[in-house]
Amino acid sequence: MESMNRLGRILMVEDDPKDVELTLTALEEYNLANEVVVARDGEKALDYLYCRGEYKTRSSDNPAVILLDLKLPKVDGLEVLKEIKSNGKLRIIPVVVLTSSKEEKDMVASYKLGVNAYVVKPVDFHDFVNAIKELGAFWAIINEPPPGSVRK
Amino acid sequence: MTQPKLHLQFAHSSVLRYGLAVVSVAMALAIALPVQHYKFREVGLPLFLFAVAVTAWYAGVGPAALSIVLSSLCFDYFFAPPLYSLSFTLADVPALLILLTFAALITRFSTVRHRVEGELRQARDDLQIEVAERTQQASLLNLTHDSIFVRDMDFVITFWNLGAQELYGWAAEDAIGKHSNQLLQTVFPAPLEEVQAELLRTGRWAGELKRTTAQGATVVVAARYALRRDEQARPVAILETSNDITERKRREEEIQGLNQELAERSTQLESINKELEAFAYSVSHDLRAPLRHIAGFTELLHKKVSSVVDEKSNRYIAMILDSAKRMGNLIDDLLAFSRIGRAETQKTAVSLAQLVREALADVRQDTEGRNIAWKIGALPEFYGDRSMLRLVLVNLISNAIKFTRTRPQAEIEIGCADGNKDNLVVFVRDNGVGFDMKYVNKLFGVFQRLHESDAFEGTGIGLATVQRIIHRHGGKVWAEGVVDSGATFYFSAPKPQGHLWRA
Repeated sequence: MESMNRLGRILMVEDDPKDVELTLTALEEYNLANEVVVARDGEKALDYLYCRGEYKTRSSDNPAVILLDLKLPKVDGLEVLKEIKSNGKLRIIPVVVLTSSKEEKDMVASYKLGVNAYVVKPVDFHDFVNAIKELGAFWAIINEPPPGSVRK
Repeated sequence: MTQPKLHLQFAHSSVLRYGLAVVSVAMALAIALPVQHYKFREVGLPLFLFAVAVTAWYAGVGPAALSIVLSSLCFDYFFAPPLYSLSFTLADVPALLILLTFAALITRFSTVRHRVEGELRQARDDLQIEVAERTQQASLLNLTHDSIFVRDMDFVITFWNLGAQELYGWAAEDAIGKHSNQLLQTVFPAPLEEVQAELLRTGRWAGELKRTTAQGATVVVAARYALRRDEQARPVAILETSNDITERKRREEEIQGLNQELAERSTQLESINKELEAFAYSVSHDLRAPLRHIAGFTELLHKKVSSVVDEKSNRYIAMILDSAKRMGNLIDDLLAFSRIGRAETQKTAVSLAQLVREALADVRQDTEGRNIAWKIGALPEFYGDRSMLRLVLVNLISNAIKFTRTRPQAEIEIGCADGNKDNLVVFVRDNGVGFDMKYVNKLFGVFQRLHESDAFEGTGIGLATVQRIIHRHGGKVWAEGVVDSGATFYFSAPKPQGHLWRA
């Protein structure tokens, strides 16, 4: 398939393994799952983005999109978002907040920090799959990522 | 007292004054002439001098001059040689000079005496007026409601008005002469030395004092001190005006207590509210995640096994999914309900007709395949929070749609009922399954449902939300229903006063 070669890499920051599995299942439908890097907390996500710690040896390309949960161990989602959006090199990466809650204060804080999209995970599985699929399709396939992102 | 009267008469009647001159000279002549016959020739001049002196003393300069002229003439005529003639000789000059000098001296003395007398009189009159004024002032002090008393620098009371008697219970005769602070058991708001120092420095002091009355009651008074000094600027007395503020003070303390209580309550409420918010947040976040997982993995399971397991297992799976979905809706509704309690209302003039149109658009999905006769009356403007009021209408209309489901021809009416001049009443009426008025009190409670959940789906939060919103608008909600003959739901809200209301 031609589109396979144009897939962007997705960095998913999510601590809940069940959510990871459900998300990956949803992304599989567009064959996007193989390109997902999972960071299980905010610190790991920043390690990945800064190519440090266990990601010291990875190629320095940026992901095409970051799917960011807000409730995370160690460094929470809003802090990760703040770090990304205040870094000259990282701020160009699109960040989608993908969270369970529709708390207005989280939403306001995220948009103030410069988030690119804010998605509440639907409880209903079909809605969830649709939301993830559309997200993946849009950010990893349709959207033209900023220069320096992985594009195979 | 007779002398001034005499003087006044002389002073005011020139006839009398000049008459005195004539009479005194005539009397001097009348005495001198017979005496002359007894060879006392030298008595003439002294007698005329006396007449001039009397005139000058009592009648002033003019009559004195007249008496000098008359005395000179008489003396010249009757006593100076040649006798019985008015011929002036050089020998008469000394006598005339003596007369003139004497008269001048007496007149001068008289003038001084009159002036001094006048001054004395003036001083006495002034004094009398002042005494009268003071007496009047002292009685005026008794008229005031304020308590006024004066004490000297040793705290001994010297004046005590009726107000003081009324306030403190002691009569003037009991209070005067007593040590003021001991009598009244005064408690000062500051050390007495400071009060005294300020009084001596500025001449004034004001403050609240606690005192004990003759009856033993404690009173709080607002007191003002004024220091009186004598001509040498030495402090001599302190005038104290005070009025009873016991009642005011008590109320102030009461209000202060209430305020403090209120502040504590509101702090408590604030912390409860914060807890509630944290609770809502964790419900919203932490409960939804496992629910999503249940729904997600059950769905995945269903996909994998639906073709290999029996019907019963598939039904179980469907029920798990249904329950998960229902719980999701419950959580969402509950969160929306709690958000209404926490959110600020943003009130504006809202067109209810427009809101009803929007609400109907929202529920269009539920009306598909249904036969509903809508009857929408004239609706006024409503003053309130637009999105909240819209939620009210959506809830009531979707209820009406839901509970008329069993009717081949549903009828739903939305209109404005007769309120009164202060309130506006809106209703939503349907011809649905209705309800038993016995349970009307349960209608608006959270999670209260009057129908089995498989007959009419729902979370039982809709009407509770409606009630909460209307209560937040200062209005009321109520309902009327008959089993199997429909229901009417009403809500009211106060009409806003003034320019905000344009209906």
